[in-house]
Amino acid sequence: MNQQPGLSRRGFLSRAAAGGVVAGWSTQGARAAVQPASAENPWRYDVDQLRKVDPALIRFEPVRQFPVGHAAARRVVFGRHGRLFVAAGKSVLALGPEGQRESAWDVGEQVRCLRVDDAGAVWIGVKDRVLVFDANGERTARWDAFAGKAYLTGLTVTERDVWVADSGNRVVYRCDRKGRLELRLGERSADRKVPGLVLPSPFLDIEAGADGLLRVNNAGRHRVEVYTRDGDLEQSWGRPGVAIDSFCGCCNPIGLALLPDGRCLTAEKGLPRVKVYSAAGEFESVVAGPASFAAVGSAEREQTVAETAHDGLDVAVDGEGRIAVLDLVGGTLHLFRSKA
Amino acid sequence: MSASGTPMDPNTRREFLRNGLRVAGLTGAGVAVGVLTHHTASADTVWQIDPRKCLNCSRCATQCVLEQSAVKCVNWFPICGYCDLCTGYFEPQPNGLNTGAENQLCPTSAILRKFVEDPYFEYTIDESLCIGCAKCVEGCRLFGNGSFHLQVRHDRCVNCNECAIAKSCPGDAFYRAPAHDPYFHFTA
Amino acid sequence: MKDPDAIFAPTFRRRGRSSMGWVAAWVCAWVLPHVCRGSELRFPPPDFESGYQMPVTDYPAARGQWLEWMDVGVLIVALGWATWLAFGRRSRRGVTALSMFSLLYFGFYREGCICAIGSVQNVALALGSRDYALPVGVGVFFAAPLLVALFFGRTFCAAVCPHGALQDLVLVKPVTLPKWLESGLGILPFIYLGAGVTFAATGAAFVICRFDPFVPLFRLSGGMGMVLTGGVLLALGLFVGRPYCRFLCPYGALLKVASALSKWRIRVTPDVCTQCRLCPESCPFGVIQEPDSGLTRPRDLAVARRGLVWALAALPLVIAVSAGGGWLFGRVAAQWHPTVALAEDYARQLPPEAVAQLPNPDRLALGRAERQAKELLPRAMELRRQFRTAGLWFGIWTGLVIGIKLISIGMVRRRSEFLPDRTACFACARCFASCPQERIRLGWTPMPEAVGAHLPVHGSNPLPEGKPGGCGCGGGGR
Repeated sequence: MNQQPGLSRRGFLSRAAAGGVVAGWSTQGARAAVQPASAENPWRYDVDQLRKVDPALIRFEPVRQFPVGHAAARRVVFGRHGRLFVAAGKSVLALGPEGQRESAWDVGEQVRCLRVDDAGAVWIGVKDRVLVFDANGERTARWDAFAGKAYLTGLTVTERDVWVADSGNRVVYRCDRKGRLELRLGERSADRKVPGLVLPSPFLDIEAGADGLLRVNNAGRHRVEVYTRDGDLEQSWGRPGVAIDSFCGCCNPIGLALLPDGRCLTAEKGLPRVKVYSAAGEFESVVAGPASFAAVGSAEREQTVAETAHDGLDVAVDGEGRIAVLDLVGGTLHLFRSKA
Repeated sequence: MSASGTPMDPNTRREFLRNGLRVAGLTGAGVAVGVLTHHTASADTVWQIDPRKCLNCSRCATQCVLEQSAVKCVNWFPICGYCDLCTGYFEPQPNGLNTGAENQLCPTSAILRKFVEDPYFEYTIDESLCIGCAKCVEGCRLFGNGSFHLQVRHDRCVNCNECAIAKSCPGDAFYRAPAHDPYFHFTA
Repeated sequence: MKDPDAIFAPTFRRRGRSSMGWVAAWVCAWVLPHVCRGSELRFPPPDFESGYQMPVTDYPAARGQWLEWMDVGVLIVALGWATWLAFGRRSRRGVTALSMFSLLYFGFYREGCICAIGSVQNVALALGSRDYALPVGVGVFFAAPLLVALFFGRTFCAAVCPHGALQDLVLVKPVTLPKWLESGLGILPFIYLGAGVTFAATGAAFVICRFDPFVPLFRLSGGMGMVLTGGVLLALGLFVGRPYCRFLCPYGALLKVASALSKWRIRVTPDVCTQCRLCPESCPFGVIQEPDSGLTRPRDLAVARRGLVWALAALPLVIAVSAGGGWLFGRVAAQWHPTVALAEDYARQLPPEAVAQLPNPDRLALGRAERQAKELLPRAMELRRQFRTAGLWFGIWTGLVIGIKLISIGMVRRRSEFLPDRTACFACARCFASCPQERIRLGWTPMPEAVGAHLPVHGSNPLPEGKPGGCGCGGGGR
């Protein structure tokens, strides 16, 4: 007999085989037991319902959509002859009406805002400077007048004035065409009944209308303020809320544009949507809702924290009422026109 | 000595073998140390979340081996907007902008809202209540600046060899941070 | 002039009120330069007019590096102390006291982490992955108990490992397991070790940590499944001595190999074995082996030799079959790697409506797979190949373990006294007190005259070994 009492190789093998079967069966059980719990997120921040827009309110239709061809596209404006100018990173891209790139020039700094005047000159706001380029891309002027925490995010040019919106100082400057600072506007003032601009994130935009009034988006107060050329608050409209006639989230709208008839276009982030308000601030219709910009506002993408400020849309209108909407995340330009 | 007549006592032979193998084992250990010197780090590392990759899926609240998750929401004040209508604090459609429980987004009311001055409010996290579900993080990131973010809190984390949350993180957002500098820094 | 990049840099004020204040201030000193360097923050903090000071975000520091070194120091001191208690003092009480300290320190204070058992995987990952660097402290936790075992056996198990201490604590009524069960379960640690190394080296999972039954108890927190498993093992441990150590612990498998080569071993008697047969009963783990009779009948010897030849001949077959199984296992095991699992889900090309029905986090993961498909898929393929190779090695290892077990079953070892199996003895020091010689040494029983001379000696080789630690070394070199 074997030297180790109670243990023979044969007996060991048969028992081991039985044990192996049991072990295999139990590991199957263990495997099932350790699958990561993948329950539906019980704490989901649910905005699915809010992303839906009543189709009857959408009175505009998409004409064309094309990629800008630059990962960091931020602002869009119309130039002359239906051309589009896009601020993308440290460059300005000039696109033809069909979206083909015609030229691009490097500014050397992050371009925050831009405008093309009737003469074809391109006005560019970088962090604390305004640069002016002629139609050929030659720099003709440079203003360094903006001090302190200057962070220019809005620029508009009229025949007499150049308006510059400074998100860092929460103020709008009126300069003459030579760059001389004439007026500060929008600062809190009890005398003039100006509540002050509230900007959790740097999206101060301005738009000068044919009526001589300046529209300013006071995003933190969820409204658009209308100022006279002298800095008096003439009117303000808009209210917070996720409803389609309100401005959603903590700080909206982030972009403005004026239709030739004086109606105002607003662009929102979070729930990306572009809407039309009458000159008096009555909600009228929707240009495009979140469905048109699926990438924006959805968590299903990677982003840097710093880029959060660049979520959203920018909107521009040309003299014929064509609307361009830049999707900052997707890097695409959408062109819309009225359905009528 | 053994009285048996075998040429070599089994015990002695075994001992000789044992000594030889022990020396071999020590040599092997030495070689392993040599190989591993290129693979060792004197400083320890700990788990951390990269907020840029975080998808706010809420698994941090459920997957941590600790009963109270070591992941908490942190408000990084320098980029906080101090908004009156904080989308990390309020439900998407609040009845009013007040601290009423029905208006709050946080399932455990772990965010404290304090008036600072018109129109600013300060939001701080009560970590004893926060469960790390990231609902407020998603609200803040969707509409706001993203100052709310999830971080592994190292007064709570037990630094498991294998982090159960990291294993099931859909965004692959967990990384090993050096123990002397264990939190994520906001850089562009 | 202002630093252009510091435009939106927040003004930090040190708040000294909390004990963490200095930490926070220190963190700020680190954070601010990081934030401001090379980029600018686009978020202008509000211009507070009421003198409001922005609070400093608290960042509790991670456990200090010096505390990690303290763990290493405690380990080394405890190892040395345990060895001295088992070999020098031969004190069960001392071993128990030290094991309670270890249970409190490594168990409840360190919450089972850092531990030698888990360190196996860190070493495997460091050898298997280019990116992972093994912390030196973890390396010491892996190596020190093994080095000690090479000379003194498993004194780590005796009083340093919190897992062993916990199980020793609950052991009230030990039963003797049938030999076949004991022997069969004894190969599980080796297979578990192989599996743990396979999964760790491929970066898939730290299974030994994930399925550690006692860490949830140390933390007083954990998944229901593992808490229950720990509870069941402890309940089992009331009657079966140290079930985890004997039948599961993968580090125990390594210690077994190391202690097989140990220079010195635990001996029950401090002097001369009188073969009184009192000690085997005292060992709750059943590792004290009887001396052999020294006589083997030729017929038995022939049977044993034939069995050995068969077992040796079967070894290559066993290894081949097991290697094949391991190869197949590698294919399945690859799915445990999150990257491979995600890539497979992604490659399945679920229709959009099916994706929409997936639970939210999984849908998010698929979204990431979509964005990172170019890196993800080749990486998953590479991992699968690694798993195939690792699975193959795991299979070979398992085959080898089974084969060696089969060969060793019929082996005859010559013993002339009652000795604990050096590979299985935990050096717990329970048996010492059962030995009459020990009781005399301690002065518990009066010294009879010439004890050894009067008692019958069964073995044919009387007393080949002398003092503890002699272990036959003196007889070598013939």
